[in-house]
Amino acid sequence: MRSGRLWMFWLAAAVLAGAFVFAGAGLDFGYVIPKRLVRLAAIAVGGVCVALSAIVFQTLAGNRILTPAILGYEAVYLLWQSLLLLLLGTEGLAALGVGGNFAVSIALMLGYSWALQRWLLRSGANDVYLLLLLGLVLTMVIGTFTQFVQLRISPGEFAVFQGLSHASFNRARPETLALSALAVAAVCLAARRSLPVLDVLALGREQALSLGVDHARQVRRHLALIAVLVAVSTSLIGPTAFLGIFVAHIAYALAGSSRHRATLPLGCAVAIAIFLAAQLLVEHAFNYQTTVSILVNLVCGAYFLALVVRGRGTA
Amino acid sequence: MPVRLLFLFIALCGASLLIGARQLTWPLPADAWLTLTASRLPRLVALVLTGVGLSVCGVILQHIVRNKFVEPGTSGGLDAAKLGILVSLTVLPATGTAGRMLFALVFCFAASLLYVAIIRRIRFRNTVLVPVVGLMYGSVLSAVAEFYAWRHNILQSMQGWLLGDFSRVVQGHYEILYVIVPVVALAYLYAHRFTVLGMGEDMAASLGLGYAATAAVGLVLVAVTVSATVIAVGAIPFVGLVVPQLVALRRGDNLGRTLPIVAFGGAALLLACDILGRLLMYPFEVPIGLTAGGVGGALFLVLILRGLR
Amino acid sequence: MITVRNLHKAYGAKTVLSGISTAFPARRITSLIGPNGAGKSTLLMLMARLLPPSGGEVLLGGRSVAGIRTGEYARHVATLRQSPGFSMRLTVEELVAFGRFPHSRGVLTPEDRRAIDEAIAFLALEPLRGACIDEISGGQRQMAFLAMTIAQQTPVLLLDEPLNNLDMKHAVQIMRALRRLCDEQGRTVVLVIHDINFAANYSDHIVALKGGALHASGPTGEVVTEARLRDLYGLDFEIVRGARGCLCNYFNPRDN
Repeated sequence: MRSGRLWMFWLAAAVLAGAFVFAGAGLDFGYVIPKRLVRLAAIAVGGVCVALSAIVFQTLAGNRILTPAILGYEAVYLLWQSLLLLLLGTEGLAALGVGGNFAVSIALMLGYSWALQRWLLRSGANDVYLLLLLGLVLTMVIGTFTQFVQLRISPGEFAVFQGLSHASFNRARPETLALSALAVAAVCLAARRSLPVLDVLALGREQALSLGVDHARQVRRHLALIAVLVAVSTSLIGPTAFLGIFVAHIAYALAGSSRHRATLPLGCAVAIAIFLAAQLLVEHAFNYQTTVSILVNLVCGAYFLALVVRGRGTA
Repeated sequence: MPVRLLFLFIALCGASLLIGARQLTWPLPADAWLTLTASRLPRLVALVLTGVGLSVCGVILQHIVRNKFVEPGTSGGLDAAKLGILVSLTVLPATGTAGRMLFALVFCFAASLLYVAIIRRIRFRNTVLVPVVGLMYGSVLSAVAEFYAWRHNILQSMQGWLLGDFSRVVQGHYEILYVIVPVVALAYLYAHRFTVLGMGEDMAASLGLGYAATAAVGLVLVAVTVSATVIAVGAIPFVGLVVPQLVALRRGDNLGRTLPIVAFGGAALLLACDILGRLLMYPFEVPIGLTAGGVGGALFLVLILRGLR
Repeated sequence: MITVRNLHKAYGAKTVLSGISTAFPARRITSLIGPNGAGKSTLLMLMARLLPPSGGEVLLGGRSVAGIRTGEYARHVATLRQSPGFSMRLTVEELVAFGRFPHSRGVLTPEDRRAIDEAIAFLALEPLRGACIDEISGGQRQMAFLAMTIAQQTPVLLLDEPLNNLDMKHAVQIMRALRRLCDEQGRTVVLVIHDINFAANYSDHIVALKGGALHASGPTGEVVTEARLRDLYGLDFEIVRGARGCLCNYFNPRDN
């Protein structure tokens, strides 16, 4: 029955994908369909990244109202984009190209994650909560700097910045897509091997240690994987803020069990389906009047609020 | 009241008056008087009032929520005030500062109320989660504000007048900050009650304090201060977070005794950040939001990492 | 004298207390005992007005407590739940001083200072006066909180599992202090307690709850019998009464 549900979801996603690619395009294989296929690929890669990173992060943190974005990755990305516009302007941005921007922003986010973990290691504590606190402070500090830079750029550049700071599937190019897909595939393989370890990690530090799992090392390892996923998805499609929480909760509800073997694939399917649905709505129903990200953000933000307001018990 | 802090405070006040784009020599030339009264003195007053107000707000919020990491920046208060101002600009564009402040006040109070209600319902496994949830809550509010600003096309300017910046402070444009004086006086009168609040609802009830009523008063004080400062000078993070913690480390949590120290500490920190901002790129200024964010953030990180050893 | 009449508490469909009517005699120590989930803490919280009842009423000296203002009630009843988990940086003296809050709202009079000194001396906490409460041991912290409730000088003291997580020495110290409060100062003490032995040896009156209903209520001698306890806890008891008190042995029950 469980795997039945999973197949149902993949089927729904496939139908949506089909609708996405072919609806209203006639059979224009020359221009429209290839562009749509690229967007579809971006949606697939982005969806997988968001779902995997959110679910694994929630397992590591032992908490279901968090998302890896609060560690500061998206803040770093936004600061980089605003600095880029400040220092190089829109022509410089065009010269750097989507590929170049992609590469640098991934490098920055990975570097940030590495620095964060090193710092933590050196202080002797290996606590996800401490990481959260550091992430909180750094997000606020980096956010202030970004605000300052935003004031210095011209309105034209600001409009470009706004575009970059919202999630959008139109930015992806085949080259960046290929790289991302490779990275994500590698992470998926690594995640597949550690499915049972993740289940044990979900029991908490003490239980994990007593069951023979090297908690500290596994947390570090998985945080690195999450860093890669978040860096790829943010650079490819932009910041996705609360979507991870939304996807994770739907996955938990539908999966019926908390084993990662069930929740992770379901989460990916859910994320892809949501992206497809949102993009379809934006393209055909709203006619590009609003952007995907604003829609998604509003819905997921409202969901997050409802979650905490309704929440009882421990978190 | 530690004497050293008092001396430091006075020294910083003096420095603030003397530093600026315009050199002030002694004996004062005639037109320097204008610089002093129209720009430097108001700026000094604004700095002191804001510093005092923000740090006192921080300590009140921390006692209401019973968490050391809460301040208007990590509980959605700043973002709600931002939204309030935005709404007032679009709904009633003709209102003056007072009207905008009223909007900001109402939004900030409502948002803080919701935040406190949320925190009370969930038993968090770790204290860090409280400000994290607050930050996420704030970013939801911020996203709504952004959407709203985007629809009305004032997005970039919104960022502009919200980043903390004291260079705007001139005579005639900062007087709303004086509302902080009665707020702080009231906070001092209520200091004991806020300490009891910090002990938790059950303890407060056992000692005969109505938790809800006192918390509401505290939230109103916070909302008034936050809305006044956001309107006059913009958003300044970390002051309400760092100063109360530093004071608590050395002097404890008994607000009756430590509130004056917290107040002066906040003013001193803000003065120091402002002076730094004016000197870094002399004669140009780095806005206070940036210096406070940087210095405050660094201090806070040191506090966290120190706490580990 | 506290009386509860027909007290009822339910959370939605789940009933936690049903139709509890009993009296807690004045100037005596009463222990609330019973198995887990019996509703003991809930009953105490209803008496402390930390929870509103779903039905029935609590009477203090014949007067219903529902109408009394919070500030007024704090001068009659003091409640101590498990040593609150907060880590505020207060010295023991500052903490005990807060016990005077219902009387003076923060401004300490000479009478307040006397009460504080008496409370600290009563529990022999003089050497810890200036220590910070987050630096002393759990047992000492519990004593500090008890001193605070003593300084509140209320005729009634309600305690929720005061001996949890305490070592034997501190547990005995606290029970002895409660006994002295009752004997020397004539206060009424009601406490929820798990340890049947402490309950049996230190209380005058026992109220036993089981499954949300009143199981037994009476002087200690009447309630602490092997038959009654077996009925309450479902365990086989052997009660030995000696010169130094009574010992309820349930550690190696006879299997039937």
